[in-house]
Amino acid sequence: MSKNKSKKKISRRKFLKGTGAAFAVATAAPALEAQRPANGSASAVADASVPRTTIRVVINGAERRIEVEDRWTLVELLRDHLQLTGTKIGCDRGECGACTVLLDGKPVYSCSNLAVWADGRSVQTVEGLAEDGRLDPLQRSFIEHDGPQCGFCTSGQLMAAKGLLTRNPRPTADDVRAGLTGNLCRCSNYNRYVEAVLAAAKGGAR
Amino acid sequence: MRRQTNAPVKPLKTIGHPTPRIDAVARVTGKAAYSGDVRLPGMLYARVLRSPHPHARIRRIDLSRALALPGVKAILTHENCKVVWGAGGISGGLQYNDEIKKITKHRRYAFNNPVRFVGDPVAAVAAVNRHVAEEALRLIEVDYEVLGFVLEPEEALKPGAVQIWPEGNLSPTAQNQLQPQQTRRGNVEEGFRTADLVFEDRYSTAFVHNAQMEPRVCLASWDADKLTLYTPTQGISNCRSDTARDLGIPEAKVQIVCQYMGGGFGNKNQNQDADLITAMLAKEAGAPVKLELSRKEDFIGVHGRWPTVQYYKVGVSRDGVLKAIQLRGYSGMGPYRKNSGSIGGIDLYQCPNIERVVYPVYTNKTVSGNFRGPEYPQGFYGIESMMDDVAYKLKMDPVDFILKNMTRKSNDEVPYTNYSLEECMRRGAEAFEWKKRWRPQPGSDPGPIKRGAGVSFMAFRSALGRSNAEIRLDAKGQYTVFVGVTDVGPGAKTTMAMIASEALGVPLSKVQVVWGDTDRCPYSVGESGSRTTIQTGQAVIEAAEALKRQIAEKGSPKGQNTLAGSASPNPSLEGKVRAAFGAHFVEVEVDTELGRVRVLKYVTVHDSGRIINPLTATSQIKGGATMGIGMALHEDLLYDRRNGQPLTAGFYGARILTHRDAPEIEVIFIESDDGYGPYGAKSIGESSKVPAVAAVANAVFNAIGRRMKDLPITRDKILGALA
Amino acid sequence: MKTFANSNARDLQQAVTLVQQTHKDGKAASFVGGGSDLLGLVKERIVSPDMLVNLKTIKGLDQVTQTAGGVNIGGLITLDTLTRNPVIRRDYAVLAEAAETVATPQIRNVGTLAGNVNQRPWCWYFRNGFPCFKNGGNTCFSFGGENQFHAIFGGGPSYIVHPSDTAVALVALEAKFRIVGPSGERLLPAADFFALPQQNPARENVLGPEEVLAEVQLPSARPATRSTYHKIMDREAWTHAVVSAAIVLEMEKDVCRNARIVLGGVAPIPWRLPEVERMLAGQRITETLAAKAAETALEGAKPLAKNGYKVPLTKGVVRRTLLGLAGRA
Repeated sequence: MSKNKSKKKISRRKFLKGTGAAFAVATAAPALEAQRPANGSASAVADASVPRTTIRVVINGAERRIEVEDRWTLVELLRDHLQLTGTKIGCDRGECGACTVLLDGKPVYSCSNLAVWADGRSVQTVEGLAEDGRLDPLQRSFIEHDGPQCGFCTSGQLMAAKGLLTRNPRPTADDVRAGLTGNLCRCSNYNRYVEAVLAAAKGGAR
Repeated sequence: MRRQTNAPVKPLKTIGHPTPRIDAVARVTGKAAYSGDVRLPGMLYARVLRSPHPHARIRRIDLSRALALPGVKAILTHENCKVVWGAGGISGGLQYNDEIKKITKHRRYAFNNPVRFVGDPVAAVAAVNRHVAEEALRLIEVDYEVLGFVLEPEEALKPGAVQIWPEGNLSPTAQNQLQPQQTRRGNVEEGFRTADLVFEDRYSTAFVHNAQMEPRVCLASWDADKLTLYTPTQGISNCRSDTARDLGIPEAKVQIVCQYMGGGFGNKNQNQDADLITAMLAKEAGAPVKLELSRKEDFIGVHGRWPTVQYYKVGVSRDGVLKAIQLRGYSGMGPYRKNSGSIGGIDLYQCPNIERVVYPVYTNKTVSGNFRGPEYPQGFYGIESMMDDVAYKLKMDPVDFILKNMTRKSNDEVPYTNYSLEECMRRGAEAFEWKKRWRPQPGSDPGPIKRGAGVSFMAFRSALGRSNAEIRLDAKGQYTVFVGVTDVGPGAKTTMAMIASEALGVPLSKVQVVWGDTDRCPYSVGESGSRTTIQTGQAVIEAAEALKRQIAEKGSPKGQNTLAGSASPNPSLEGKVRAAFGAHFVEVEVDTELGRVRVLKYVTVHDSGRIINPLTATSQIKGGATMGIGMALHEDLLYDRRNGQPLTAGFYGARILTHRDAPEIEVIFIESDDGYGPYGAKSIGESSKVPAVAAVANAVFNAIGRRMKDLPITRDKILGALA
Repeated sequence: MKTFANSNARDLQQAVTLVQQTHKDGKAASFVGGGSDLLGLVKERIVSPDMLVNLKTIKGLDQVTQTAGGVNIGGLITLDTLTRNPVIRRDYAVLAEAAETVATPQIRNVGTLAGNVNQRPWCWYFRNGFPCFKNGGNTCFSFGGENQFHAIFGGGPSYIVHPSDTAVALVALEAKFRIVGPSGERLLPAADFFALPQQNPARENVLGPEEVLAEVQLPSARPATRSTYHKIMDREAWTHAVVSAAIVLEMEKDVCRNARIVLGGVAPIPWRLPEVERMLAGQRITETLAAKAAETALEGAKPLAKNGYKVPLTKGVVRRTLLGLAGRA
């Protein structure tokens, strides 16, 4: 990685991801050697020099064969390219849990996993919870116990809960809190989520 | 339409029964379309380049390499976009209306020069995908002249401090007067002279970010000269009028759509610069544009609760009656005055002599703005800690001190429509077992693990006001309620449906709600200030009345016909003051060796008038109280003083509470119907956050015998106090 | 994100060769296990690899195998699998407990042992892209700045604290690390893997850029050994250690034959306490001795302007954890 010296004290400031580095004057841009010159095309098709891989992945029970850019996160694949927008991005840094999906049955942050790494594996999102239009007992319980307030963390809480109950069908309240501790809720509806998961478990949810 | 008041309240047909949210299925199946979920054909992606300096003049921006990047469709900077963001910061934190436009000196543009905080937008790029947009930002070359900066309000007011605006760092009033906010009653100097004892102390509170789960996003699309914005907003009507004003186009040419939003707690009111930037990019690029803020950008580029420093002087008689209260306060607003900067709390107390002088001060930090009870959690923490301390010094039980001095009339003058503070305090103390858990001698538990209890109380505005609603009836007997709500979380859609069901006298299943679209829904006050139930709810009742009159007159509709009733009431309180009341009781356990605080028991008592939906109302109280624990113990935005850089932006840095941090919050409602508001409903959304911080802080004092005067009460401060 | 290619490795040799080749071509490459930490750094542009060599696709690198000399743990084992392994839980509890405190279930389901040991620091200056030692610069911003969470031992010229919980446990267990690289394999005591900033402030360990931590080898658990990991967090979960302690005691009735004590959250490396260990050897661990051990543990501590609280805090952690572990039936 090229390093640039500059006379200004805070010259190499990379302070906000996605906003780039605001350098003082004239700094080299990293890794753009492969860029082609500008053309007037309005096409949204990505540059051919971006590495791609074809993967096979089972998503909500259906096997899919998809070409992905190597740099796509799993959540990017789900939301932008498969139109499964039930999974949310709260931080894109593995710090909030809104993007939780089940990967081979285990809760993971889909923002912190690459799409290519899902090759040969199975992914379950919130859209895959209901079976034949029948809500999962967790979903029903969330409704009854006022699980969603603003609802943005709800998909993640559901998937984490699903993963928890699969492994531990009879959790205590402490188990639920531990199992869902990777899911923030700023509305701070925590009491309700714990209630809801315990009720679903009691009702025999798995 | 006054009804009788203060008789015990019983559930009605629909109202008062726990009711699941009418949109819950969409939320739990992932079908609810939040703004970021919406996609339009040909949509471009945007990213914003932000100032890396706390204060700098932009000498030159070179876009050439960025523009040459394939896939880049439009770039905006202060050079080609001069849009003023009225709601982003105007003198006095008021609406940027025509009058203010003429006189305000401190305009906040979508792109400012000079830039005045780390995160101030410098440029925005629209490109074919977000990866190209990010790359383009890195190719933008900006030549900054770095300027001096100031971070703390008291520093900023000292002579010789870096001037953020030419008139200095005290933020002017809406009339451009360089004066602090001032409230006086009686004569404090006289009060101190006649008091038996006078106490003084200083308290400080930190910047606390709203940290709502849904990051700021906006999707803008033009159809000829009509703009549609898919944006998370707490008030579609306000967002529309602000956007129309800022872009200089007629309101009828702006459509705001928000069907679901992921929280906001006050930072999604009005419009945001993200909306304007996205709209202008879409215009420039000739295609729909979606701007997504990263979590760090949301922390730094939107706003959070203003940090404060509060100096109190309190005079009391020997038997604990307040004689005089004086507050001199400083609020750090960031470099733009987005909201009031006020510090509430003095009017919690009966006292013949009060003086409140609050300086909203410009700083080169992230902008401060409204967050759930904007001026109250920080002010209540300050004054209720101060009074708690006074109680102990007088060897009084804090509950007794509160009962002796709490407000009984608004500003000691105007009667409340009804009054329940005494009951809140007594019922709470009983349910909590105050006498058992409170230690008359703070810090007296033997051993390193010490327990203690704290109390706080609150009164919160529940005024009436304007809003609109329309209800239509079709031939199948289906009622459709049109209201401009978006549901920031409390469940406004369900509340409106329940009110309509009750007012119409039909089951809830016959009522559907159309929301969140300015093309379809009438004006609503917007979900801020805990006003939607009161104001829009009243409009729903009166629209129902209007519709019932129609039905009586014309009979039920047949075939393709519909009947409609609409209302735009603006009721008055007839000279009274209306408030929600509450009290919080908290027990904590402090491990004084490890500096760890755990909340063991938390009892809340709230009078929010009649509770429309006990299911969602209880969730609101639990949520607000839990947020208060976070503000008391953890949340802050640290800056490096040497270079003005924010260090802890984000969920991890702010230590947002997790499942394991959240105790069980017990909720007791004291219901009443004071004859005003829809079925007597009062405000609730902000009620539980405002007293929470004070209660937790007072509990910590009772446990360890050390008054923690600087929020957040983190481990290092506890261990330092006990050293 | 900046674009990169992902290559799924077949075996360790091939993975190493691929990284070597990428470097020879003048490009940057990273090995990746779970990827949670790496992706975060890539998104922030702290590191910008052109090639990610995915080790998850190598079979057999994630096993727990009992051997004559102890237990071998493949570096690619997930933290979740590690915490649930009955042998680890029974005989090396400190490691299971440490792994269990890491982050959240979602991260433990993909995060690997090797990845956790190699995790980069969570210093806010480093993670916010300041031009510090760790980012290729020549200063440490925490010194004279906001250093509430930084080092009280071993600091200088960088004052980070090592972020890994498993690292602390592994040093306490006297584990060995089997490292695979271009020049073959080497076996290193865990304590020698981590390096003080005096050696090279840009790095936290001696792992070469083309090397992989392939395996952790634990010596046989001696009879009557008990161990535990005590982690202090600012929030009840999902936070790095403010201070932590990994303690392994070999007890004979109520006498401590042998003690190993390592601290986390206080130094740029897992901080072993040999003097305290000597003090405890052959002794009954009484309240008095535990208090004395705690005092001794903090001798030589050099707090910075804002992290002085770590001194009494660490004393409390050492004293309590020692007493609690020794007092177990």
